Amino acid sequence: MNTVLWIIFLPIIIFIIGVFMLGYSRKFIARIERRYGPPVQQVFYDIFKLMNKKTNISHGWMHDISILMLLGGTLLTLYFVPVPGFHFFAQYGDVLVIMYVLLVPALGMALGVGETANPNGSIGISRALMMLAGYDIPFFLTFIGMAMLNNTTSMYDLINIQQAGGFLGWGLLTNPLLGVAALIALQGMLGEKPFEVMVAPHEIATGPMTEMGGKYLGIMMIQHAIAVVVELTIYINLFLGGALNWFEYIIKLFVLFTVLLSVNAVFGRFRTDDAVRFMWRIPLPMAVIGVLFIIF
Amino acid sequence: MEEKLTQRSVWEKISNKLSKRSLWMLHYCTGCGAIELPPTMTARFDMERFGISPMVTPRQADILLITGYLSVKTLKRVVLTYEQMQAPKYVVGFGSCTINGGMYWNSYSTMKCLDQYLPVETYIAGCMPRPEAIIASFNDLIAKIDRGEANSWKDYYKNYDFYKANQDRTFEGPIETYNDIKADAAMFNIK
Repeated sequence: MNTVLWIIFLPIIIFIIGVFMLGYSRKFIARIERRYGPPVQQVFYDIFKLMNKKTNISHGWMHDISILMLLGGTLLTLYFVPVPGFHFFAQYGDVLVIMYVLLVPALGMALGVGETANPNGSIGISRALMMLAGYDIPFFLTFIGMAMLNNTTSMYDLINIQQAGGFLGWGLLTNPLLGVAALIALQGMLGEKPFEVMVAPHEIATGPMTEMGGKYLGIMMIQHAIAVVVELTIYINLFLGGALNWFEYIIKLFVLFTVLLSVNAVFGRFRTDDAVRFMWRIPLPMAVIGVLFIIF
Repeated sequence: MEEKLTQRSVWEKISNKLSKRSLWMLHYCTGCGAIELPPTMTARFDMERFGISPMVTPRQADILLITGYLSVKTLKRVVLTYEQMQAPKYVVGFGSCTINGGMYWNSYSTMKCLDQYLPVETYIAGCMPRPEAIIASFNDLIAKIDRGEANSWKDYYKNYDFYKANQDRTFEGPIETYNDIKADAAMFNIK
């Protein structure tokens, strides 16, 4: 019964946290640019307005399905990642399953944007898949490294092992090379600057979102709010010792997000080839060396 | 009868209250007025305080801001852009040129009255209007949405024949658009 309640309410709780984190990010960046910035609940207004649009253009049934695939893939990832108080699915699916389901949203988006037949959208998708090749290899190497270091592939066990070691048991401190490599890869995964090549509003008109309007864009924004929390949670569980209660969890989410946003606020945007080259030059060798340290 | 038309349900009141806080703006900047927009968006006058932020594609935008004069060629593009936007959508005419031609009154190739071709929600007078005027007019638009009176976008669906006739006369023949406005009005039940 408890599990059923978690399954129903977890996406809603995570969505609310995600909305406020995105609102916080807009406020944070506005203050760095010496602006006053929108209110923290601005993203909620945006989503409400989009879901409340009177007309919605569909480009075909694949367009409709892909939006659901995008949201569904993210929710699936959410259930497999342990959060404080809920790790029911985490015992059936380990780190390797998360590695696979993390790819579903990107593929869903590629299918839908292909149907809209907008050149900006196609460029955006090709850039997104290029970046995927860039950040996924270092990120998955760090997954494998942590699994080998602790001799388990279950993310729930990883949290327990780190918690048993106290503050010094955190993955970031026991293996700093992997921790920093994953942090850089996480910046690319969230699509923050300087790896913002997929959206790039001034170049390719927000890429995959070009033809999305009304409810379609609303669902994409809901998905983005959830995906941000999920990806940060994966990093927290692997390298920052997870969290035992929701208070600690939310504190860690906001601190980690602030670190990433500070980089986002002061950087420009890499070109696609530069971004991928950076990913393969800096985080990838770091991750490889980190894994070699663990093996030998 | 008149009262019944302006009556709103509780849900519409709530949705107007929340929707007015988020307006995404597509700016069509061929005229000189575009120079007043960067200060409006950036640190000095920060438009994002009111939830108004620039957007890059018509599909996502709510406001179509037309800065300055439109020639026959650019009007054609503006009509195509406007028809791709998702309702509710608001056209804001910026500067004297969109109101009565302004300093281009005697020109052979510019449009004099924008509201003959598209349903305009608000005009900003001036040549050019300062950022304070832009912010003030956006606040007017926000208040109008709150009162439930910003319904000019419905005009385009209801009086499409009028707008279409004016456009055709200017373009000397029908243009190829991607949207069937009357079918859309029937499909989405816009009255």
